[in-house]
Amino acid sequence: MAEMDPGTLVTVVTIIIAGLGMTIGAIAPALAEGRAVEKALESIARQPDSAGDLRTTLLIAMALLESTAIYVLLVILILLFANPLLDRFF
Amino acid sequence: MGDVFPEVAFTFLGLPVRDTVVSSWVMMALIVAVVLLLRQIRPTALEMVVDFLTDFISEIMRRPAGPFLPLVGSLALYIGVANVIGLVPFLKSPTSDINTPIALSLVVFISVHVYGVQIMGLWPYLKSLASPIFLLPLELISQISRTISLSLRLFGNVFSAEIIIAILFALAPLIVPLPLQGFSIFTGLLQAYIFAALAAVYIAAGLPPRPEQLELEEEDQALETIERELKDHLEE
Repeated sequence: MAEMDPGTLVTVVTIIIAGLGMTIGAIAPALAEGRAVEKALESIARQPDSAGDLRTTLLIAMALLESTAIYVLLVILILLFANPLLDRFF
Repeated sequence: MGDVFPEVAFTFLGLPVRDTVVSSWVMMALIVAVVLLLRQIRPTALEMVVDFLTDFISEIMRRPAGPFLPLVGSLALYIGVANVIGLVPFLKSPTSDINTPIALSLVVFISVHVYGVQIMGLWPYLKSLASPIFLLPLELISQISRTISLSLRLFGNVFSAEIIIAILFALAPLIVPLPLQGFSIFTGLLQAYIFAALAAVYIAAGLPPRPEQLELEEEDQALETIERELKDHLEE
């Protein structure tokens, strides 16, 4: 590791962090969306008449939940393709 | 990988014009051409689209879709076509450039206030923004953060789909990316639906609540009087 130049080190750390961050950042929204779908399916099974209303609400709620995962993805895309630290070394 | 990112196609009077803007123009011409053609050949298809959008908006906003149909409907059409058109060779979907989603969500941000002032009047609308005065900062923060999240959600979805397809194309060309391209059509249309739905929700949140309860109570009362009359008839 000692002979690695700083630019390579930053790149390596960035790639590792990108993988780790996306993994952790995908877990929470996935669990939350699973809970939302579970409750919605239970309600549809109990009251099939409310399926139409529930579907639109569920889609909007899923979009809001999913946006957390997308924030993580955007941060990681910035880290990978427009890393502000790399300019200091090259 | 290089063709995923938007590039400057040409400069016009010193302004750089990106290729996403060019494909946006192609897209607009395409939409207008298809609509003009359909109006000649099969007007019922257009009616179906407008009916679908009207039902969709009035279902989400719980009020007549009339004044909101031009904005929300064209947002849905534009984003839907823009997300799908990235699959056409030599065209890049305009929403994969961060500037397009930001512009669209700024349009939504401004139109929320325009509709609010138009329907409630200037002073009542400003009052409703700060109904307990200490909630005003929270309201402002939520206005700004929802605008940012609206644009970043659309951009993140479309751009990530394109990057995944590009990576798979570099690894195993032609066959392997095909299912993901089909999936990206689905997510693109879903994102258009969600963007339009959220725009409708945000606009509806800035408007006064409909007196629906009153109408329902009136209906109940009318039903009760009819039942009573029927009973009287039967007893006679």
